[in-house]
Amino acid sequence: MSLELHDVTVRYRQTHDGGEHVLLALDHVNLALRPGSVTALVGESGCGKTTLAKVIMGLLPDNAMQSGTVLLDGEPLPLSDENAMNKLRWRRVAMVFQNGGAGLHPIHTVLDQLVEPMRTHLGLPPEAAELRARRLLEQAGLPWNIAIRHPHELSGGQAQRCFLAMALALDPDYLLLDEPTSALDPGTRAFLLGRLRELRNEGKGILLITHDLGSTASLADDTKVMYLGNIMEEVAGSLLTKEARHPYSRGLVRAFPGMFATRELGGLRGEPLLRITHAHAPSEASHHHADTGVEHAPADGCLFLPRCTQACPDCASGKIALTGTPGSGLRCVRGGIVPFLELKNIRKRYTSAFALHDIQLRVMAGETFCLVGETGSGKSTLAKIVAGELEADSGTALLDGSPLDYKRRRRQLAAKIGFVAQNPLLAVSPRLTVFDIAAEPLRIQFPDLPRFELERQVLAGFCEVRLPGTPDFLKLYAHELNAGALQRLCIARALMTRPALLVADEPTSSLDPSVQAKILRMLLELQTERGLTMLFVTHDFGVARKIADHIGVMHDGRLVETGTTRQILTHPTHGHTRFLLSCARGGNTQGE
Amino acid sequence: MRLFTRMTWMPALSAYLLTALALVYASFALPRLLPGDAFIAMYGGGHVAMEAQEEAKIRASARYNAASESFTQYLGRLGRLDWGTSTAYETPVFGLIMHALPWTLLLMGTAHLLSLGLGFILGVEAAWRYDSVPDRLLTSVMTFLEGIPELGSGVLLLLVFALWLGWFPAAGGETVYSGLSPWERTLDILHHLVLPLATLVLAYLPGNALLSRAAMLMTLRQPFMLTAAAKGLPPWRRRYAHAARCALLPVVTRLGLRLAGMLTGVLVVESIHSYPGLGTLLFQAVSLRDLPLISGIALFSSLGVLTVALTLERTYQYLDPRLKQQRVTLHAC
Amino acid sequence: MPAESFSLRRDPWFLFAAIVGGTLLLAATAGPFLAPYDPYDISFTVLEAPSAKHWLGVNDGGMDIFSELLTALRNTIMFGLLAGMAGTGLAVFAGVFSALRQGVTGLMLMRLADMLLAIPSIMPLVLLAALFQPPPSLMALALALFLWAGPSRLINAQARMLVTAPHILAARQMGGSLWYLLRRHLVPEIYPIALIVLASRLRAAMFMEASLAFLGLMDPARKSLGSMIGYGLKYYFLDIWSNWLLPPIVCLSLLIMSATLLAMRMEKRMDPRLQNLS
Repeated sequence: MSLELHDVTVRYRQTHDGGEHVLLALDHVNLALRPGSVTALVGESGCGKTTLAKVIMGLLPDNAMQSGTVLLDGEPLPLSDENAMNKLRWRRVAMVFQNGGAGLHPIHTVLDQLVEPMRTHLGLPPEAAELRARRLLEQAGLPWNIAIRHPHELSGGQAQRCFLAMALALDPDYLLLDEPTSALDPGTRAFLLGRLRELRNEGKGILLITHDLGSTASLADDTKVMYLGNIMEEVAGSLLTKEARHPYSRGLVRAFPGMFATRELGGLRGEPLLRITHAHAPSEASHHHADTGVEHAPADGCLFLPRCTQACPDCASGKIALTGTPGSGLRCVRGGIVPFLELKNIRKRYTSAFALHDIQLRVMAGETFCLVGETGSGKSTLAKIVAGELEADSGTALLDGSPLDYKRRRRQLAAKIGFVAQNPLLAVSPRLTVFDIAAEPLRIQFPDLPRFELERQVLAGFCEVRLPGTPDFLKLYAHELNAGALQRLCIARALMTRPALLVADEPTSSLDPSVQAKILRMLLELQTERGLTMLFVTHDFGVARKIADHIGVMHDGRLVETGTTRQILTHPTHGHTRFLLSCARGGNTQGE
Repeated sequence: MRLFTRMTWMPALSAYLLTALALVYASFALPRLLPGDAFIAMYGGGHVAMEAQEEAKIRASARYNAASESFTQYLGRLGRLDWGTSTAYETPVFGLIMHALPWTLLLMGTAHLLSLGLGFILGVEAAWRYDSVPDRLLTSVMTFLEGIPELGSGVLLLLVFALWLGWFPAAGGETVYSGLSPWERTLDILHHLVLPLATLVLAYLPGNALLSRAAMLMTLRQPFMLTAAAKGLPPWRRRYAHAARCALLPVVTRLGLRLAGMLTGVLVVESIHSYPGLGTLLFQAVSLRDLPLISGIALFSSLGVLTVALTLERTYQYLDPRLKQQRVTLHAC
Repeated sequence: MPAESFSLRRDPWFLFAAIVGGTLLLAATAGPFLAPYDPYDISFTVLEAPSAKHWLGVNDGGMDIFSELLTALRNTIMFGLLAGMAGTGLAVFAGVFSALRQGVTGLMLMRLADMLLAIPSIMPLVLLAALFQPPPSLMALALALFLWAGPSRLINAQARMLVTAPHILAARQMGGSLWYLLRRHLVPEIYPIALIVLASRLRAAMFMEASLAFLGLMDPARKSLGSMIGYGLKYYFLDIWSNWLLPPIVCLSLLIMSATLLAMRMEKRMDPRLQNLS
């Protein structure tokens, strides 16, 4: 007993002024909806989620071409026989649309609309139908006097509840919901999710199409992430928000303003694309959709490539398959988000007591890892080792899979790693102008670079950190800048070679909170746009909370605890972590 | 009228009453505005030679000549159904009107019903089969017919079907003095009704069909139509109970808007086919310069149209429940 | 509106209407020069059949039908233009004015329009014609007093939307006078609708003229397509349908059809949601 989609592909024929083209909406999608479970389907608009629902209901428009099979309890849907399809619709599978009010008929009363499927499908006499409608409204938490009203007299929440009641009129086995909680007030949303939970427990198979990752977290038995008609990741239950493996999923999770999110809102770079095939238009050559200027998705290789920040050459060709066990698949050439920095058994000994004992660390690509600890815990030392300023006594370090070997490959590594020191005034030469300070990394890496090119890159870099690019500013000396500008200059310098990893040692500790906020936001933006991985050292848990994906707590040269930000903040295991947190919270005037 | 303005302090009924009052006043005051002698004005310009005797009779019976009657007296007289006496027929105007009225009602009523019903269904079905051959054919034919005035089509129908083919009578509402049984009489009346009815229907149908089609096309795109499909409802139910029900609204509104203007056409058609309704009566009254009858018919038909418009508005409120909240909908759902 | 007019140029119905209407207009303007005889000349053989001398034959009064036709065409079109343009002008004025002055005057104006809309225009015109026998130009203006009511609400609705439009408010904030606003913003945005209104008023006016003439309410000596049909109909039993009845019917139909089509197609191009005016 299940609702299954096998290899379902849907294409739309579209015409526009330039000619005709074919839009690929679903690409060999496999999905199984089982009774007594909730499957969530998440993704940005236009990724094919609604098309999927329409495929199941058999409601694709005339210009759609469908292939693949949909099996309802083992039997394929009788798509060619409208009468047979009509018998199945609403009885076996019902659908709740986004914005229930618009989906309701404006002139029929609520009662009429509730009763209509019962009269049509079951032939119930009016009294029996009305009785049943009464019960449905009750279950939807609505008073009986709603029945004689018309949709325009209802609030958004009431309309959505009416729609749900209407969908349950024939007690279908499967329920498809398309964005049921968007634009709903919190009360109705909570009620709706609770109701869905009840329905799931009654044995219904529910497909929940949604942006609302919060609802998937609380409700879904398994979640599928869709992008441009392909399923990118499958996760069991509520794990998506905790550990997203695909870069796309991570972007979605970062963008969602959930109640338990700690990090600032992030996102995905770029816009969703269109999968156009067989275009017969002159504009095809420029790969831009004639009407909307939206780019075409790549025809070969990974669909997510244009927006991915950790792409490698292998991603550009071939068909990428969904790999992994059923229920936890992943469609990524690199196997999901890759570890970018890996430290194993790092040890360091000073002649004094300072030491680092067996540090194991992993920073995933495009992520921020915060090292938190008190002064003297060894965090700066570790950062400096990663940046190449100090050398570890033993242990291995890998940067994007290759060894972090400063002895032999310092110059190459310097281009990939940027370092921002704690004290900006000391980190820059008092003799050099602002321009020269910023241009230094470029001069080292590319000594033959012409002056105008240097200028161009410096100015572009300054633009990113919101520093002025006026000639007067460029001629200033370091001591003539205020602390915020100086630190921004250092950050600009660190990012000048467009490194993949930024190591920052308490870069904002000496700054005003307002300046610190701006800089941190800017760094996060760079992370979204360029996939910048960050190793950020700080003693301030508040800052770590706002920017970190993972936190590592250091004490006396040991990494005592690591985990996701949420884990560390809500369920710290190590005593020292708890101590640090209580200090942070106790001293906080806002009193968390 | 509440469809269009949001003035709540002047309910629809009182607006209609005001208009009715204005009309009555106009029919009262206009003849009195004539410079000098009304008699000269009516008969002076035409090629009518009159004997002194006739002139005296007319002058005597012409109440409009006496400047003594006040507006309230006039109103009272109208209320007592004394609308004056026809100078040409020497019978009370009201009686003449009542005699001709049923014919006009029969003609107009059936014409509107047929053209609304048929036009609506044609429009709905065409929209359902959008861009197919029948749809495009219907749209072209209707667009073409929309431009032919009743004057033209009426004469053509008369020529072709009454004079050449002889299938239908060329004039009259029924065969007079024929002593037919009630059933035969009904058939006879219907037989006479066909040509004028066909003319009017040809004039009204295209507009209704085209508007229904347009309204239906708009309605079909709405989200609730997808819901209806998802509910597994049979096609005819979706088409009529869901979509057409919405498309009906602008068609009915338009009927109300154009009602007054359509009267001209009815007059013309009745004259062409010599159909014994108010139109022909008016036509004859004009040619006979029968002022009391002319103003009586003018006032009566104006008031009649007002009443129908008011009733139509009440129907509209029933058809579209959203209007209870004073939201204007000139469009479909 | 360049996009709309571009597709209008390719619209077969619109082209047809424009060509036919234009031709008839030309014929009407050139009427006095094209007509072989004086239409009032009653010296010809009564009811003579069409011949090389009289293309459409002679009517019962001894007048050449072809010359009559051209004059009648001219009269109908002139009447239509006068009433149509006056009606459109009044509608635009009333609509815009009541949108700009949204106080009591504005509301009163729209109320007046409502009332006028409910009155069948033929009746007051019949009374007017019977009592005062005014010249056609006055009849046309009297008709215009009824024609403006319907479209004025539409224009009012559009104008009201415009008046609160941010770009207009911006112009006002920048110091633009009422006259400036009208000239630079309101008129250019209203004139497409005004064109549609004009076409539909033309249709209504010509239709009314023909009907009034047919019913004998205009000056009997005046030539009109309606009166030609009226007179011709009296002799239906004779073989005059092709030369006396058909020509004015065809001309009238083509006139009305062109005006209708122009209005319909312009409306369709402009805004599919616009209410059907004709």
